Amino acid sequence: MAPVDIVLDRVSKRFDHTVKGQVYAVRDVSLSVAQGELLTLLGPSGCGKSTTLRMIAGFEDPDDGAILIGGRDVTHALPNKRGIGFMFQNYALFPHLSVFENVAYGLKVQGRDGPSVQRAVTDVLELVGLSKYERQQPHQLSGGEQQRVALARAVVFEPQVLLFDEPLSNLDAKLRVEMREQIRSLQRRVGITTVYVTHDQEEAMAISDRIVVMDRGVVVQQGVARELYYRPATEFVARFIGRTNILAGTVTSAGEVEVGGLRLPIATGRAVGAAVQIVARPEMIELRDGSAESPADGRVVTRTFLGEKTDYLVSVGATNLQVSMTDHHRRQPFEVGQPVGLRFHVDAMHVLA
Amino acid sequence: MAAIRSASWRRTAGDPALLGAVVGVWVLLLLFVLFPMAHLLERAFVDDGRFTLAPLLESLADPSHRAAFVNSLVLATSVGVCGTALGFLFALTAARGGLGRHWLTFLDAAALLPLVSPPFTTSISIIFSFGPKGFITHDLLGLANASVYGFWSTALAETLTYFPIAYLTLRPILAAIDPNLEEMALSLGGSRWRTFRTVTLPLAVPGFANSFLLLFAASLADFATPLILAGNSFPVLPTQAYLQITGLFDFKGGAVLSLILLVPAAAVFLLQRYWVGRRTYVTVTGKVGQRSRTRAIAPWVVALLTGACVAVAAVIAYFYALLLVASLVVAFGANNSFTLHHYHVIFTEGLPAIRDTLIIAAIGMPLGGLYGVLVGYLIARRDFPGKQAMEIVAMINYALPGTIVGIAYLIAFNDPPVALTGGALVIVACYVFRYSPTGIRAAVAQLQQIDRSIEEASASLGAGVGQTFRRVTLPLIAPAFFAGLGVVFIRSMTAISATIFLVSINWMLITVRILENMTELALGPAAAFSVFVIVVVFVVVAGLSLVLARLRAPAAGGAARSFLGG
Repeated sequence: MAPVDIVLDRVSKRFDHTVKGQVYAVRDVSLSVAQGELLTLLGPSGCGKSTTLRMIAGFEDPDDGAILIGGRDVTHALPNKRGIGFMFQNYALFPHLSVFENVAYGLKVQGRDGPSVQRAVTDVLELVGLSKYERQQPHQLSGGEQQRVALARAVVFEPQVLLFDEPLSNLDAKLRVEMREQIRSLQRRVGITTVYVTHDQEEAMAISDRIVVMDRGVVVQQGVARELYYRPATEFVARFIGRTNILAGTVTSAGEVEVGGLRLPIATGRAVGAAVQIVARPEMIELRDGSAESPADGRVVTRTFLGEKTDYLVSVGATNLQVSMTDHHRRQPFEVGQPVGLRFHVDAMHVLA
Repeated sequence: MAAIRSASWRRTAGDPALLGAVVGVWVLLLLFVLFPMAHLLERAFVDDGRFTLAPLLESLADPSHRAAFVNSLVLATSVGVCGTALGFLFALTAARGGLGRHWLTFLDAAALLPLVSPPFTTSISIIFSFGPKGFITHDLLGLANASVYGFWSTALAETLTYFPIAYLTLRPILAAIDPNLEEMALSLGGSRWRTFRTVTLPLAVPGFANSFLLLFAASLADFATPLILAGNSFPVLPTQAYLQITGLFDFKGGAVLSLILLVPAAAVFLLQRYWVGRRTYVTVTGKVGQRSRTRAIAPWVVALLTGACVAVAAVIAYFYALLLVASLVVAFGANNSFTLHHYHVIFTEGLPAIRDTLIIAAIGMPLGGLYGVLVGYLIARRDFPGKQAMEIVAMINYALPGTIVGIAYLIAFNDPPVALTGGALVIVACYVFRYSPTGIRAAVAQLQQIDRSIEEASASLGAGVGQTFRRVTLPLIAPAFFAGLGVVFIRSMTAISATIFLVSINWMLITVRILENMTELALGPAAAFSVFVIVVVFVVVAGLSLVLARLRAPAAGGAARSFLGG
C-alpha cells in the first residue's frame, strides 16, 4: 500500500474546566506528516500532544480545524473508518483474548477468511519475535512482550498510518532503547506514515525523522533533531531539549556581547545596548586551569563524574554555568573551589530571537 | 459550550449503532417509566382537565390515612435502628472476631437466607410461632388466643428480613478500617473499649447512616409483611393504598396514597445516594480481609458476639425449619402427622402460578440482564446528549416503593392506547425496569475499572461501536451481566408489591398465590409454595455463582452481594 500523508489544519480542542472555564487543550495546531515519515510530537505532560494524536486517531472530536489523511477529510470520521493502527501507553490488550486472538482481531473485524488471518498473524508474530506465544493470555506476558503484541496488533491489518501514544514509558530503560530500535526498523521496512508521541527528548531524537515541540496546546517549533538542539526557537525549546545555559547578555558592539563581565565574540545583528539571550550547551564551554590563563573567570561549585563525561557547575559572577567535559580521561579533574578559566565555543552558540 | 454540545450531537447522529441504542433505551424508558408516572400524577392531581390538590388534601385530612403515614414512619424508623444494630453485630463479629472460614460461611448463610426468600416467609413462621395456635404461644406457653398481629410482629419480621442489608453495608466498611489504626490507639495506652469508642465507631458512622437509610427505605416500601402481620390496628401506607384499589376500586385514592408514600421514599433515596453515599472515610482497596485478626477485641467479647450471632442465626434457622415442617404436616399445630398433600396441591392446583412465574422470570431474566449492561455501558462509556437524564430516569422505578410502581402501571396500562394489563408483558416489563438498575450499577462499576483504551484499541482496529460492544465490552462485563440476571430472576420469583396489581386470571404469580392462601388460612400450601421458591432461587443463585466464580469475579461474598442489589 502506498504511504499516505497527514495534514492538520488549524485544529483546536477545548474543554470545560470547572474553575478556569473554557480551556484549550490544543489550539490552532497545523502540521503535516509526509508520506512514510516518522514525526514525533514532543512536550511535557499536559502540552496537548496526546490530545492531538487522539484527534488524528478519531478518539477525540476537534472543535475547529480539519484533519486529512491521504487527502481525505476525516475530521469527524469515526476511528474505525480511518485505517489507523494505534499503540497505547498501557498497550490495551484485550484481557479476555489470547495473543493470537488479540492480533487477529483487526483482521476478523475486516471479515478476512480463516487461512489468511492465520497466515498474517503468524507472519507478524514472527516479525516481532513472538512466534511461540500464540496461545498465551496477555496477563502471562512480560511488559516487553505485551508491548510487542500491541505492536503486532497495530500493524497486522496494514493500516494507512501508525500512531504511538508514549508506547515505551512503562518499560525499563534498557528495554526502552531496544524497543525503540525495533519500532524504528519496522517502520522503515514497512514505510508507513507514523506519528509518535513522547515526553522523552532522547527517545524523540533517536526515533524521529522530524520533531514537533508542543507547549500549552500550541506548536512551538518543528524541525529535525539537530535544528531543535542547535537552533531552538525559544527558551522553552532550548531548556526542554537537552541541558542548556541561557546566558543573559548585552550587545556591546556589532560582533561582541557582554555576559556577566565576560566579553564574547558573537555577532547578534542587534543594536548596541540591546539585551540578548544566548543558548550555550554545557559541551560548548571548556574549563581551563585558572592559573595558566589569568585571570580566572569562575570557580568550581560541584563536580559530578558520570563515566563518559564529567559535569561541573561553575559560578561566574552571580550565576552558575553547567559545563560538560568529555576529555576527562586525558587530564586531572578540577577540584571543587578551584578557580578556573572558561573558553566558549561561540560558533555553536545560538542567540534567541 | 455550544460547540461542544453540537460536537456531542454530531457524534451521536453520525454513529448509527449508538444512535439506535440511545433512541431505543429512551423509547423504553418513556413507555415503561415516564408514561406510567405521568399517568399516576395525572390521576392524582388532575380533575376534569384542571389541576387540583383537593384529593390530596382530602386524603391527608382522613385520620386513618394520617395514622397510616405516621405508622409507616414509626415502623421504618424502628426497623432502621434495630436492623442496623443487628447488622452491626454480625458485621463486627465477621470483620473483627478473627473467626474461622466455616464460622464466616455460617454467618453469611444465616444473613443471606432472608434476602432471597419470598416476602412472607418470616411472616408465616411468626404466625406459626406466635399466633393463636402458635408453636410457642400455644404449645409451649399455653397462652390462649395470643394476638400476633400489630406493630411488634411486623417490626420483628421486617428486622429479620432486612438486617442482612445492614450487614452487607457495614461489613466491608469495618473490614476496611485498618487494624493498624486500632492497634495504634491501643499502643498509645487506650483501653480496648476506649479504642472501640473513639476509633472504630466514628470511622463506621457513615456506614451506620447509610445502612439506616437503606433499611428505612426497605421497610417503608415493604408491602407483604404488613399485609400479613400488621392487621387492622396498625395500618401502613402501602397496604392502605392496596386496599383502596382492590377493596374499594378507588384508583384515585390509591394513587394519592401512594404519592404520599413517595415523599419520604424519595427524600431517603436522595439522602442516601447523594449525601451519605459519598461520605465514607475508608476506601475499599480489595486487599482487606486477610488482616482481620486483631487484638483490638478481647476474647471474651468475641465469644459474646459470636454467641449473640449464633442466637440470631438460630432464630432464623428455627423459622425456616418451622416453614419446612409446616409444609409437610396436615395442619400445623392441630394435626402434626406427615403428609405430602400440600406439595401435591401446589403442583396441581397451584401449577399454573408456578408455570407462569417461571415463564415470566425466564423471559425477564435475559431481558433485564441485557438492558442492565446496555444502559450501564451507555452511561459509563458513551457520550451523548441527555446522558444524565437517562441515568436518573432509569433509576426511578428502582427507587420508588413497589406499590407506587404497581399502581402507576395499573393506571397507565389498563386502557388504550397501551392496554397491557392482564398480559405477561406488563409483569415482565415491571420486573425488568424495577430490578435492572442493580445490573446497571454493577456494569457501571465494572466499566470504571476497565481502561477506556481497550475499547479505543478495538475502534482503531476497525471495529464499529456495535462490534466493539459485542466482542470486547460484553465479555469483559460478563460478571455484571450475570449479577443483573440473578437479581431480576430472584425478584421475579419473590417480589409482590408492584406486581400484585398486575396479575390476572391468565397470568398468576406464586407470591400472589401465597398471599391468597394466607388470607384463606390455607397455611400448608402457603408454606409449601415458600419452600419451593426458596429452593428454586437457591439453585439458580448457586448456578450463577459458579458461573461468576469461573469468570474470575470478585470473592464469593461480592457475588452474593451483587445478587441482592446492595
